[in-house]
Amino acid sequence: MINDFEYFAPKTLKEALALLDKYQDDCKVICGGQSLLVLMRQGLVAPPYMIDIKGIAELSYIKDDKDGLKIGATTTHRAIEKSPVVKKKYPVLAKMETRLASIQTRNWGTIGGNVCHGDPAGDPLPVLIALGATLTMTGSKGKRSMPAENFCLDYFETALEPGELLTEIALPVVPPNTGTAYTKFNVIESDLATVGVAVSVTLGAGDSCQDIRIALGASAPTPIRPKKAEAILKGKKITDALLAQAGETASTEADPISDIYASEEYRRELIKVLVPRLTREAMANAKKA
Amino acid sequence: MTSKFSVIGQRVHNIDGTEKVTGSAKYTFDVVLPNMLYGKILRSPHPHAKILKIDTRQAKKLIGVKAVVTGKDTLGRKQGIWRRFPELCDEEILCRAKTRYIGDPVAAVAAIDEDTAEEALDLIEVEYEPLPAVFDPLEAIKEDAPQVHDGVELNININRHIEWGDVDEAFRKCDHIREDQFKCSSQAHVCMETHDAVASFGHNGKLTVWTSTQSSYYIQRLYADMLDMRESDIRVMNRHTGGGFGSKFELDSAQFCAAILSQKLCQPVKIVLTREEEFTATKRRTPMYYFLKLGAKKDGTLLAKEARVITEGGAYTAMGATALYLTGFFSSFPYKFPNYRYDGYRVYTNTEPSSAMRGFGAPQSTFCGESQLDMMAEDLGIDPIELRRKNGMTPDYEVPGQAFIQSCGLHQCLDKIEETIEKRGKLPPNHGIGVASYGFMSGGIFNWFNTPYAFSAAVVRINIDGKADVFTGACDIGQGSNTTLAMICAEELGIKLEDVRVFSGDTGICPPDLGAWGSRQTLMSGNAVKRAAAECKSQIMEFAAAKMGVNIVYDLDIKDGWIHIVNRPERGVSYYDIVKGAIRGKDGVAIMGRGHYTPHRKGMISPAYSFGVQAAEVAVDVETGRYKLVNVTTAHESGTVINPVGIEGQLEGAIMMAGGYGYCEDQPMDEGKILNPSIADYKLIRSLDMPETEILEIDTYEPEGPFGAKEAGEGLTNPTAGAIGNAVYKAVGVRINDLPITPEKVFKALKEKEKKKKAK
Repeated sequence: MINDFEYFAPKTLKEALALLDKYQDDCKVICGGQSLLVLMRQGLVAPPYMIDIKGIAELSYIKDDKDGLKIGATTTHRAIEKSPVVKKKYPVLAKMETRLASIQTRNWGTIGGNVCHGDPAGDPLPVLIALGATLTMTGSKGKRSMPAENFCLDYFETALEPGELLTEIALPVVPPNTGTAYTKFNVIESDLATVGVAVSVTLGAGDSCQDIRIALGASAPTPIRPKKAEAILKGKKITDALLAQAGETASTEADPISDIYASEEYRRELIKVLVPRLTREAMANAKKA
Repeated sequence: MTSKFSVIGQRVHNIDGTEKVTGSAKYTFDVVLPNMLYGKILRSPHPHAKILKIDTRQAKKLIGVKAVVTGKDTLGRKQGIWRRFPELCDEEILCRAKTRYIGDPVAAVAAIDEDTAEEALDLIEVEYEPLPAVFDPLEAIKEDAPQVHDGVELNININRHIEWGDVDEAFRKCDHIREDQFKCSSQAHVCMETHDAVASFGHNGKLTVWTSTQSSYYIQRLYADMLDMRESDIRVMNRHTGGGFGSKFELDSAQFCAAILSQKLCQPVKIVLTREEEFTATKRRTPMYYFLKLGAKKDGTLLAKEARVITEGGAYTAMGATALYLTGFFSSFPYKFPNYRYDGYRVYTNTEPSSAMRGFGAPQSTFCGESQLDMMAEDLGIDPIELRRKNGMTPDYEVPGQAFIQSCGLHQCLDKIEETIEKRGKLPPNHGIGVASYGFMSGGIFNWFNTPYAFSAAVVRINIDGKADVFTGACDIGQGSNTTLAMICAEELGIKLEDVRVFSGDTGICPPDLGAWGSRQTLMSGNAVKRAAAECKSQIMEFAAAKMGVNIVYDLDIKDGWIHIVNRPERGVSYYDIVKGAIRGKDGVAIMGRGHYTPHRKGMISPAYSFGVQAAEVAVDVETGRYKLVNVTTAHESGTVINPVGIEGQLEGAIMMAGGYGYCEDQPMDEGKILNPSIADYKLIRSLDMPETEILEIDTYEPEGPFGAKEAGEGLTNPTAGAIGNAVYKAVGVRINDLPITPEKVFKALKEKEKKKKAK
């Protein structure tokens, strides 16, 4: 049963930050609630104060400019999925959204809410990491930014400091000859990932791999970049043998759990298969780009 | 072809559909009464424990708490649905001395609201002495295993034996024998409406209950046993019910605890189980270990089959004894085994009781049997459909000493499926189509419940405006039985469907009916309604004949409200006018007809059987083991189809449920604790995972059924797991004998296969 709490729905960022400063650890930020309400129903989270930032209009936007794309934290999944500019310039992001839970969830849930939940099985973070996204956090004392891959610290634990809100997700302009791909393995179509893999590849001369970013979801306490696997491919002409080696390496860099849905061993096997598969897909996308 | 029927066979939406889709239909969940209190149940955290002491004083002191009850407040009786066998009535519901699974109730609270009741649960102090527990039936039958119930040797709750022919001699004559082992997993019902009840004792000592149930009559009778009351002092009403797949026809903890609390207070008490309670403390599909031996001649003639089955019973008998018998009977289905032997053992364990669930033992036997049959076909080099054709049941077949099958369209189903598979042509790589045949009963003949009543009974009343009211104890649990019964009544009377209204599942006003289980209501309740309507019709015809003054050799009939001479339909009178006149002529008494049905001379199992063949196509990702259900086509015969929309709904629901059973549903446990007791953690097939589904209806006519109809409910759940298993094998050559057939199991089997190939 959900506990009783005092509810605030600030209309501006300034108001929200003031409330955060006031209630500190006693409050919880809600922005769509598609993850938080589940935890509250289970009694795992019981905040006395709830600050609902979803109504802050100034944080809901998708802006395209010469530096790339800026997405406001309270933008819904559905808005991203349906955005023409996202579909055109970052199709992997729109495609990821189509498989994130159900339409009802995407209509209500937000990208910022999802990222701040810090679930290693979440869909957006691996894609954001592969795309080289930067996250901006705002507190009453100012703003700071960091790469998406540094945002999660542990299971459901993020780099957000007390009094801070995630306010913006910035995606750099996609370099030429670059393709990105994401998939999640799950047993039920609209379910969370058993393992998620995102890969972004920039092709150089002779289709060699000039640059690569691999991000794994549901494979460790946080989304991770298996950098040894990336190093195997970077600067090389990609062959099946190298891909297999990268998959093997990524599976050893991962630290997956065993649970009722999949054994640790099976998760590692999936990584071995999916890293090469998604790299190929990213390369194919790069050639199309 | 024009149908000889006016109403039957029409595509009809449920008569309560508008209420349901607009959200105005009222379920037990919605019932609110003046002075109503809310109840919550405290459950054992131990799989097996002695209750040393229960201290309820602190809980009683909490403001808003009105009553706290424990086993001491009950008569200490034990419920069981096998009422003819007292030793199988083994569930106290509110435990007095011992708890036997995690979730066994030990106390209940009534308070002014749910929050207070829940808070009070935390204040009840129970001192337990944990006892050694046993979870796996193969462990529980060992000599030194903990005893779940005292005095039950080797924890064997019940054993069943079925045999005909000379099995041992027949095996000696076989050219080829296969022996295989299988394991069938657990499955939760996941009804949309959890178990719930509002129980209200009046100061007159009479009990009224609103509850979500598949059988109001069973609940009424079980209440009478447990509370030592006369059953007519208990009124049980099922109104709209949010699903029932076998877990809702025994007295459950919500019903019993609400009544005990209400009895103390003479105030209505409502208990709605939480989703977690629904998963952990109701009933579930019976997990089974299956050992099968199958013998055949070279030409594919199946000579003998032997099945040995050990089932995980959980803590209490529930309906498990029936599941044990039926899995044994349906292990021979739908084939003509001249020699057959079955030995089944239901074993008590310290887990949530297993019981009835849609298919009632037959999904298990069909998965194992149909998997093994495909293996046999491969061994013999015979096409699997041909092997089924060679041995399949035919009309007017007697299962020796067990059952007599009248209508049977299995061979037409096999032909249709074969045609469909051929039409699909060459499949893409790693796709495979697997086939499974099945049959099921149209209601059970067994009377372990020991009812002295007819199995089904109905009353039809014709009102002055010509409208017919049907009173039936049958329960509409979402399957559409009220619509089916209304159609049967309308057809029999020759009136429009909208002229019929159904009052069902209310023991206060409806004649007893055993309820919605075993796929019985279309045939049994349908027969009762048809007979009641026929009795009304014959009364109306007396008046019509008198009014029309027709020659005695002429036959009269009613169609679309027009009473007419059969051979000269233009000569007639209005049904509505005749009814008005008839009621006046009867000194103002409404026209009433009564009908009942109890199967006689139809063997031991069921008066009729439906048959079908299903083909499932899967596409396997060989690198990960993940596969998709691409298409499921079912050739199905259920006699005359009353409502095609109803059958389509049953089929789609069955594929969702049985596909989940084959693919992903399970209830993993750790020391008796179910690890996935939520919709988030319990994996169900959802809309995106659903394959294309197609139904190929085969025309048959069942002489025992109303207008030739038989079941179309549970049978459809039987084939899918087996068809999936066979399809995966066809696609990638690995055989999984252990349900559910998860991608991880397929992956491991593929790796194993690769390793063996390399070793060669």
